[in-house]
Amino acid sequence: MGEERALSRRAFIASTAALGAAAAVAGTAAQTLTAYAEDDKKMGATSSDATEIKHAWCQMCGPAKTACSTLCHIKDGRWVHVEGNPEAGNNYGRGSKTLCAKGNAAMQVLYDPARLTHPMKRVGEKGEGKFERTTWDEAYKAISDKLKEQKEKYGPESYGVLSPQAYQVLWTLGRRFLNVHGSPNYMHSAICALQRAASKKICLGNADCDPGQLDKTKLYVIWGANPENSAINQGKPNARLDAIERGTKVIDIRPMLDGLGAHADIWVPIRPGTDGALALAVLNHIITNDLYDHDFTTNWCNGFDKLAEHVKPYTSDWAANITGLPKEQIEEVAHLMGTTKPMGILYGNGIGDQQNDGNWTCIAICLIEAITGNLDIAGGGGAKKTVPKPMFETKKFDILTDRLPKSAEDEEKGYFAGISKLVAPETPRWYQNPKTWESGPNSAYFKALMSILTENPYPLRAVLGQASNPFGATRQPKKIAEALKKLDFYFVHDTHWNTSCDYADYVLPAATHYECSQQFGTKNTPAGTFIAINQKIAEPLGESRSDWDFYMGLAQAMGYGDDFWNGDMDACLSEQLDGSGFTLEDLRAANQGIFVARTDGAKAEEPTYQNYEKLFADLPNGKVQCYNEWIGGKPNNTETGALGYLPEYVGPPESLAGTPELAEEYPLVISDVHAYRLCNHSYYVGVPYLRELQPYPWVKINPATAKKYGIEDGDWMKVESPHGWVKLRAEYKEGISPEVLMTRRGWWQECEELGLPAYGCFDGGSDSTVLYDSTIENFDPFHSAMSKQTLVKISKLEEGE
Amino acid sequence: MGKQYGFYADTSRCIKCWACEVACKQWNDIKAGTVSRRKVHEIDSGTFPDTHRTFVSMSCMHCEKPACEKVCPAGAISKREQDGIVTVDKDKCIGCHYCFFACPFGVPEYTEAGMDKCDACLGNGVKIDEGEKPHCVATCPTKALHFGPMDELREMQAQKTAKNVVSDSTKPSFIAS
Repeated sequence: MGEERALSRRAFIASTAALGAAAAVAGTAAQTLTAYAEDDKKMGATSSDATEIKHAWCQMCGPAKTACSTLCHIKDGRWVHVEGNPEAGNNYGRGSKTLCAKGNAAMQVLYDPARLTHPMKRVGEKGEGKFERTTWDEAYKAISDKLKEQKEKYGPESYGVLSPQAYQVLWTLGRRFLNVHGSPNYMHSAICALQRAASKKICLGNADCDPGQLDKTKLYVIWGANPENSAINQGKPNARLDAIERGTKVIDIRPMLDGLGAHADIWVPIRPGTDGALALAVLNHIITNDLYDHDFTTNWCNGFDKLAEHVKPYTSDWAANITGLPKEQIEEVAHLMGTTKPMGILYGNGIGDQQNDGNWTCIAICLIEAITGNLDIAGGGGAKKTVPKPMFETKKFDILTDRLPKSAEDEEKGYFAGISKLVAPETPRWYQNPKTWESGPNSAYFKALMSILTENPYPLRAVLGQASNPFGATRQPKKIAEALKKLDFYFVHDTHWNTSCDYADYVLPAATHYECSQQFGTKNTPAGTFIAINQKIAEPLGESRSDWDFYMGLAQAMGYGDDFWNGDMDACLSEQLDGSGFTLEDLRAANQGIFVARTDGAKAEEPTYQNYEKLFADLPNGKVQCYNEWIGGKPNNTETGALGYLPEYVGPPESLAGTPELAEEYPLVISDVHAYRLCNHSYYVGVPYLRELQPYPWVKINPATAKKYGIEDGDWMKVESPHGWVKLRAEYKEGISPEVLMTRRGWWQECEELGLPAYGCFDGGSDSTVLYDSTIENFDPFHSAMSKQTLVKISKLEEGE
Repeated sequence: MGKQYGFYADTSRCIKCWACEVACKQWNDIKAGTVSRRKVHEIDSGTFPDTHRTFVSMSCMHCEKPACEKVCPAGAISKREQDGIVTVDKDKCIGCHYCFFACPFGVPEYTEAGMDKCDACLGNGVKIDEGEKPHCVATCPTKALHFGPMDELREMQAQKTAKNVVSDSTKPSFIAS
């Protein structure tokens, strides 16, 4: 049974019987537009009068996020309920009170009994887990003494900071701290939208593949994108379902048939890690069959003829063998993409930053969108309606980038300040400059940690981990543990004792963003502009301090107070609000935030389409890079060779078609869902409402495969790759190929309330990160993406194993 | 009797995100690991690669002729005049489980306090007579779950060729498309 948890026998029988009828109905449902009026204002209710309502930006997609504005209901001093704020314009717009499952469980993070309450100092060996209680003052003294000493001895670049997922604290105060200290080593994950953005930029400039006006799109191709897990309440899933009702055809290219994929017209169950081969075959089909836009390729493509020649060997037969897809399906999909206009492609993490050829894969996909003439047309790639200017503006946080010292080497090589000191550049040094980066220079997370072991080009000496567990955030925890053991100084600020804390010198308790009023955000729509700050819902637990106050204190201890408002976070916030027309007090007094309705009469307007001269202005020759002269011939990110000019398929280090001998011993492919709707990367597995939905680390397996190994639905399995092994619980699923397994990573938190355990992150645990290759030479040579696919063998795990 | 209210689950828009389930729990103060007044059920059909998944969010169906009410020896279950919502008075419930055996859909669950099931959020203060929606509906990120007078829901679903997917002599107030 596909159920996630036990139903009572009778309830199960009854509901399944009812469902049989539901499925029959769904199969015949006409996809017509239902245009019923709905009074969104009446959705949901506020409780009794005794309830106090406070505003907070939901932190369940990550601390310091400002994606969904929520109203928190407080009763007798305790936060009891939460709902989406209809004032803010969440999800489908003003009036929307929606939230995802995680958002609905937010209270349980604040009140989690596993929260850290006081600073701890290591007294045993690294990894041993022996700590004793200390004070903030002592911890700050020890940390600042160490950082000062290392700065003196080894230079400021010996300090690096782990970047969790998109994290405003680190973008702002964290980056400012790095710059004032003098280190460029922001250790970015290399698993991020940033990877995809960079690949797109060097190919399409400022054009886009994702449709900006989905209501006009005829064919919408979802390629390795996962919004029904990563951003349920941020508009895209709802908009896609609306588009389907209007008649948009959807092709979903993903290994597993997921919640939104179940509503697609065509599901393309590709083998994980082989998307580059499919993209090249699509290009081949479109070019060979003359389905491309001649005007566009003649006028706006750089080296189209070279690309056409290059893709000749990449036939559908060639790709079928690699991707595991029928040749006919590859041709069908390619034909539809070449003949349906407007067509837009939403491509995601799955292909862009979780494959070691992610850069070329993204570029090949961008080129499909380009040569079919779909860029910047209504309903095609990009071409969003213009949103009128906000009714008020807040100031950009100044991260003091100009403080990064420019070395003689930077000067000599023409690098931007600090670049030559990067310990492990994420994108090539020559590429990193204020025009191409997000908030400053980046080293790659995994590679930077490996510098501790290799001492090449120099070892990091101190690392800060804030809201990031390096055993779940990157690849191969065994190597990370080795690095942390050797690392001179590791300090952590977190809400929970993440598994890497055992290796830390100091572990400091973090408050959630519900225990401080230090994060504001704005949303601008045609209807008006919304601004709100997190209100303090509870006093910080124990001695915990907010992420913001942590940095303020650290800066003070380092003697950087002059650059950090002398530790006054309110002064920092007030500076950003200066000129907005609002004071900090205004924001803190507004229980539902402040919405300023548009009075200037401005409306969302259609853009001028096919604005290619402007969109491609940054590209060599002002054209789409079919033959890539931006990166071609230039050094790669490890400075061990030159980058190519034309898209290449590399494939995972271990794969059915690429390493057939290995596949004899390890016959199945495995990957995992990067973001998932019941957790925030590896965090929140201890949240009771979420854990009860999925109590055990699962692996989806086709029943035909499972039965071959004598594995029943619900059995524990041993899953072993050439790099490590994990134990996972089998969940039967027809919506996955018999040769593929999919799992979910990050099970290091226990759930006391439900009596469910934590699972380890090393071999024999349940974190799929131990399974994958972590050979730096195999990572993407442009943007450092790492493979998240490998081969495994499986067996039933008997009790006690 | 006023208008009969009920739920409409649009399977063409449900993506099994579970928001309705968790919203139900937090607004009704239900402890994790106990009862689930609302569940998103899934039915799979076919085999790889020609396989289909259908998701439908279900709870008490607030039947026009509730079998649970009929069998309750304690008079703990009643059907409201004004909106047809079926409620349970836990103070009166004696925990005999008759209602569980009578319900064709196996809806009733039990805690120490008594029988537990969906009350369309009346118990947590939602004013459905003023047009407010139960929290499962209000939180649904994809507009897949609806609540209202059955005649209005039927009109809404008519455009989607939806049907009563469960039929019983109890006349459940639940439709799906």
